[in-house]
Amino acid sequence: MKDCTYFTRKEILRLFHRYRDLAPQLVPLDYTTGPDVRLPYELIGSMPELKDNPFRQRIAEVFSEDGEGNMTLDDFLDMFSVLSEMAPRDLKAYYAFRIYDFNNDDFICKSDLEKTLNRLTRNELTEDEVRMVCEKVIDEADLDNDGRLSLEDFQHMILRAPDFLR
Amino acid sequence: METIPGGYEDLIELEAVGRSHRAVRFDMTHGDREDLEAQHYHEPKQRNSWSSSTQRVLSSMPSRSIRWNQTAVLSQNQSRSTKTRRRRRAPKPVSTTFSAANRDVFRERKTCADDVTQDEELLNKLQDLPAGESVRLLREMPLSVSKKREIRALCFSWELAQPLSENEALFCHRFQACFLKVLCGCWLGGLSQKKSIQLWQKVFKNISARFGTGILSYFIFLRRLLLYNILFLLINGLFLLLPQISNPQISNPQIPDPSPRSPSEDEHTYLWMLTGTGYLTDSVMFYGHYTNSTSGNCQAKATECSHYNIPLAYIFTIGTGMFVTCVMLVYRMSKSFEKSFCTFKATGNLALKVFCSWDFKVCRKRSVKLQAVNICTQLKEMLSELSCRKKKRNLCSTLGWLSVHLLVWSICLLCIGACMMAVYYIHPYLEQGGSMPIQENYPVHLLAMPLVVSCISHLLPGFFDKLSKGEDYNSPSVHIYVSIVRNLLLKGCIFCMLCYYWHTKIDDAEKGQKCWETFVGQELYRLVLMDLIVAVLHIILAEFLWGMCIRNFTFRRRKLEFDIARDVLELIYGQTLVWFGVLFSPLLPAVQIGKLFLLFYFKKTSLMTNFQAPRKHWRATQMSTVFVSLLFLPSFIGALMCVIYTMWRIKPSSHCGPFRSLHNMLLLGKQWIVDLGGSDSSLKWLSFAYLHLVDNPLFLFILAGLFLTIIYIHMQVLDGQKLIIGRLQVQIDHEGEDKKFLIAKLQALNEASALSREVSIWAFL
Repeated sequence: MKDCTYFTRKEILRLFHRYRDLAPQLVPLDYTTGPDVRLPYELIGSMPELKDNPFRQRIAEVFSEDGEGNMTLDDFLDMFSVLSEMAPRDLKAYYAFRIYDFNNDDFICKSDLEKTLNRLTRNELTEDEVRMVCEKVIDEADLDNDGRLSLEDFQHMILRAPDFLR
Repeated sequence: METIPGGYEDLIELEAVGRSHRAVRFDMTHGDREDLEAQHYHEPKQRNSWSSSTQRVLSSMPSRSIRWNQTAVLSQNQSRSTKTRRRRRAPKPVSTTFSAANRDVFRERKTCADDVTQDEELLNKLQDLPAGESVRLLREMPLSVSKKREIRALCFSWELAQPLSENEALFCHRFQACFLKVLCGCWLGGLSQKKSIQLWQKVFKNISARFGTGILSYFIFLRRLLLYNILFLLINGLFLLLPQISNPQISNPQIPDPSPRSPSEDEHTYLWMLTGTGYLTDSVMFYGHYTNSTSGNCQAKATECSHYNIPLAYIFTIGTGMFVTCVMLVYRMSKSFEKSFCTFKATGNLALKVFCSWDFKVCRKRSVKLQAVNICTQLKEMLSELSCRKKKRNLCSTLGWLSVHLLVWSICLLCIGACMMAVYYIHPYLEQGGSMPIQENYPVHLLAMPLVVSCISHLLPGFFDKLSKGEDYNSPSVHIYVSIVRNLLLKGCIFCMLCYYWHTKIDDAEKGQKCWETFVGQELYRLVLMDLIVAVLHIILAEFLWGMCIRNFTFRRRKLEFDIARDVLELIYGQTLVWFGVLFSPLLPAVQIGKLFLLFYFKKTSLMTNFQAPRKHWRATQMSTVFVSLLFLPSFIGALMCVIYTMWRIKPSSHCGPFRSLHNMLLLGKQWIVDLGGSDSSLKWLSFAYLHLVDNPLFLFILAGLFLTIIYIHMQVLDGQKLIIGRLQVQIDHEGEDKKFLIAKLQALNEASALSREVSIWAFL
């Protein structure tokens, strides 16, 4: 497990205990048998780190195996490993792309962008402003001019941003 | 474009949205973007979906299929998400719509056989690499942890017993990490991908949760300064303090008393800690105490004596400390520059703002809400900027704007000039007649000067800030840079004035047979302490009390805002004093360590109680680059220049300290190297090298020329790369145009053939 995440043994144990604390009756203490336990999204979304994050549902969906937000221990560790400070920027960029890609088609299209904007600004922008911002963003970031952002476009843009996903 | 809410309807909209955004031109003339948008409205047929034969062709394009690097793994994920999509789509009838068919067409190339071959490729690749490298690669792959475990199990089945990260390749790294941990107490800096024990880690997490990474950068900067001081103190302590302490019989008891002891002095001895006088004068704290002799350690029976030359150790210790600090600063600066400055495209800020400005560390509800409002405001500002390009200023308003700026600048410069004069002329008054010796009967007079200087350096920036509120800047970052420049000027001028004043005192000291180095050391000690006291008072009065007033007695109940530029500059100013003073007072870093600790806890408590999260978005990385650069360039280099000048040009006092018999401090080093050649033939090369290379101006000239050439070459390479990137960009644009053209032609062909087929069917019927 240590080789697959960016955590030390102690941290993995600590995360396991946090996972268990979310639902002690569901999660057994002994994980050596590899039980198939999934915590539902509602429990994950109630964690203090994620509770107020507007993207928590997408984060849970991206990292969960079933795509619905129900996470096994592996998914849980994966999520925190990528969100930690030690994960490299490219890995974070990849997952950020998937988080912002609401319809899971591996492209960030205009509707994905609009949803992202609305979540970022809590629906404070008007429709016109949202539309203008989306057009401008696609103008700026779309390299191959197909009207939507692919992973390469996204990564190219992230290269220029030092403050990304700390 | 209206937003269609809900999950799967946007799948349908996807194709239409994706293609209608860009018009396709059949003629190859290259107009500009406005033409494109105009044409968009004249070619409505592009809004129709592509036919399935076109899509089949598109889905088999090489760029959509398997590639190694990250996209290989991406496609693995595609297959995983395809499975989830299939699972998700199963209960919903909308899966039979046309757009879902699109998706299936795109994915139908992926069969199980493809998955297996991808897995095999991945495994083979991993097995070819060395263990450490493959572990690193495995970690970086964007796969789920369960998948990674499977791969790891398959790949390294013979080493399943223990985690690979404990193998020998990484053992040395671990050992080094432990050693450094022990050495530095609680901090490990800069080892990538190693989770290290860091001082105040929990506190930092709290701060970033509430206030974001911008304000956190101030505390990280403080911690970094702490590290530099700890290192310096360690070096000084090991090589200077311990030898001096361990040979007390050699310490010189003949240091002339700077002032005659008076009976009333006993009443004031409790102030010795503040003033640096009294017990501290003749202690290891200051230069004057250090002996100029070699401490011998000859055992009766031993044939060889171990000599420890304290004056030489003095030079080398201070030199090493400065060198180590310089190296660490340059390293930190280069890391920051690498992260924060993108050399190429300057446009594209809106996209960056949308995707990169969300600070995921923030988790308190109120702060999250503030952040959202913040981003919203900035996006609106950017939109308004874009829609009405530049604020058109007519002549009158330009003149007005200029005159306001000039006025504020002239007031600031006048204030700085006035303060400099004040520092220069008040000094003698405070010393009762302007001549040494310092009268120990009145230690408060000793403290008055540092108090005045500290008050000026703490209060005047606030005044500048209030003045600049009346100015109108194009952007908030310009405002911050201007205020940084002003504060820097102020502090720089004060420091220069102090240095000049001390310089004039040296001659007097020589005449009076006093120890001017100890005097300067004591002045610096007092300055550092007073800075701390005034800072703490400022926190208590201006932040706690004033913040309480604002919170409870104003209508809006708002809290204060953290002025990060000012606080960081104060830290830098304090550190400059320490770096300059370490020559005269080797234990000054210890004082600075205590000061930084206290300051940290006071600031943290004040921040949590009195401040609100910032309304302006802080580009933390760029700001921390600026701070580290300021720490290096004016602060460290300035202090280093002063130290080198002192060692090289100024005659040490002849009555105290390790260099009392020399013309200047550096002569000792020179002498030693020359003697080294004479005494020990194996080290003759060193003395030869020194005499003919280091001391030879021609060699230094050649070296400097070489460095300049290397820098010039790098600059040219960079220019060339910029050019290449520009050309590649143009090429990508052209390829995109070609692709659109070909797709449209393909579509037209398919439609024509479908039409002709229909016609022939009808004809047949």
